[in-house]
Amino acid sequence: MHLAQLRLRDFRNYQRLDLRFGSGFHLLLGNNAQGKTNVLESVYLLATLRSFRGVGPAQMIRHGSPGFFVGAEVVGHHGCLIRYYWSMKERRLSVDQEPVRRLSDYLGLVRAVVFCTEDLQLIKGSPRFRRRFMDLLLAQTEPAYLHALQQYVKVLRSRNALLKAPRWDQATLEAYTHSLLNYGNQIMEARYRLVPKLLPLAQQAYRRISGDDEGLECAYAPAVREDFQQELARLASRERQFKTTLLGPHRDELQWSLKGRSVSEFGSEGQKRSVVIAMKMAQAELLTQHAGTPPILLIDDVMGELDQKRRSGLLPLLDRSHHAGGQVFMTCTEENWPRELGRRLNRWIVREGTVNPSSPH
Amino acid sequence: MPALPLTLIELKAALNRLPGIGPRSAERMALHLVQGPKEVIKQLTDCMQKASERVQICHICGGLTEEQPCQICDSPGREPGLICVVVKPTDILSLEKTGSYAGHYHVLGGHISPLNGVGPEDLNIAALEKRLDQSEVQELILALGSDVEGDATSYYLAQRLGRQGLKITKIAQGLPAGSDLDFADELTLNRALQGRIALDHEG
Repeated sequence: MHLAQLRLRDFRNYQRLDLRFGSGFHLLLGNNAQGKTNVLESVYLLATLRSFRGVGPAQMIRHGSPGFFVGAEVVGHHGCLIRYYWSMKERRLSVDQEPVRRLSDYLGLVRAVVFCTEDLQLIKGSPRFRRRFMDLLLAQTEPAYLHALQQYVKVLRSRNALLKAPRWDQATLEAYTHSLLNYGNQIMEARYRLVPKLLPLAQQAYRRISGDDEGLECAYAPAVREDFQQELARLASRERQFKTTLLGPHRDELQWSLKGRSVSEFGSEGQKRSVVIAMKMAQAELLTQHAGTPPILLIDDVMGELDQKRRSGLLPLLDRSHHAGGQVFMTCTEENWPRELGRRLNRWIVREGTVNPSSPH
Repeated sequence: MPALPLTLIELKAALNRLPGIGPRSAERMALHLVQGPKEVIKQLTDCMQKASERVQICHICGGLTEEQPCQICDSPGREPGLICVVVKPTDILSLEKTGSYAGHYHVLGGHISPLNGVGPEDLNIAALEKRLDQSEVQELILALGSDVEGDATSYYLAQRLGRQGLKITKIAQGLPAGSDLDFADELTLNRALQGRIALDHEG
């Protein structure tokens, strides 16, 4: 699967951008603040309808415009034409001219994995980042997961509203508790299934990046120990005191360790970077296995931050994506682009909101 | 552009408040009404007046009716031991269109919704409880939708109303009639699998 065409209107610093691509490597070269990452962000937006920079859609509108438009032509098993317009007043998402009615029908048409500096939050940040990592992967590989998660979030909001209300009815709370247990257990079962699939891929990737086997392990640490229902019942009085739901998969953790020691607590800066890249490579690999074709890889300046050895660990992944007809977009400044990638690159020069092909030299 | 006359703007605003009518449609309707024959307006206002005077809520089931009790509650041909619980009066119309349900109804008036501050005491549940106490009801069918609030409300009702000799059921979810498996999304198929039913066979 790859994007054959990308059209941006009033998106970030692009007033108007029309690009056509083939599959393979695309290197976006340019100085800082010229709009390299914005191109990656627009592709990621098509895949997830979110920004990987952790901002809302309003911040992706070009200054002074009412809204942005992102359009793309996808080539592959599910070739289609996607159009997405967003403004404060109106949002329109269509596939082949048909409006999209359900999110679950849309997600999966464009699959993308991003490698960016914000990824370090996967290790350094709060457990929320690691839960989102699991959620994103499961939503893309297990059809029922997204529904269970959306329902769980709704139940949780309702249940918390009940606990916060000045007075509430015990039977109503029990009704919402019943739904909480139902969807919560589905989510936990899916997360239990994920880890044994994820870990070997992350270990393999980590060995490639770090050059040696440092004993990478990952463990799913659910907030619920054994029985959700019993443990939640024991918290009843504390829930009344804190006025919020104190147990459930919204408090889960995914722990990463090297030789038995927590990476976030004891890992060196370099180890943290390597583990994060191994996580993302495992994600890309899992999505490839699931769909049969590799996702679009979006690599934002991380290569520049890695030393030669760690960089070369990423190359097999890029190579495989290339052979399988995938697509890779990578941003770099002129001085630090990874020359070892060879000559099969499409180079694009990004300057002040314009993107132009450049002949290889 | 010269502005519309004030009365026309007021008419447009009033129409705009109706469900499903946006500002453009409201404007078209308003312009059409004031430019058309006067009889049309007269007929429309008469109909609205009459309807709003006569249509009332049935004091037994909560459905829409012109007489007390409503035709369904009053009908001797309907199964007395069967009540289907729905959210709003129009749900009755949907179920009646199927032509395959011959029991009675009870309109709840909403879902239990903590986010909107709607508790069980705000719904028409006490009246349902009274109906169960006063007549011989064998089965209560819950048709409250399959979203989070529908599920929680169903669970709540089953707990509160459950009693000796009363069967409480929830309507099934699954494949649309006449459809092929090819066209079903995974979630619907999943539900259909969970709600499967046994087929009778010889021996």
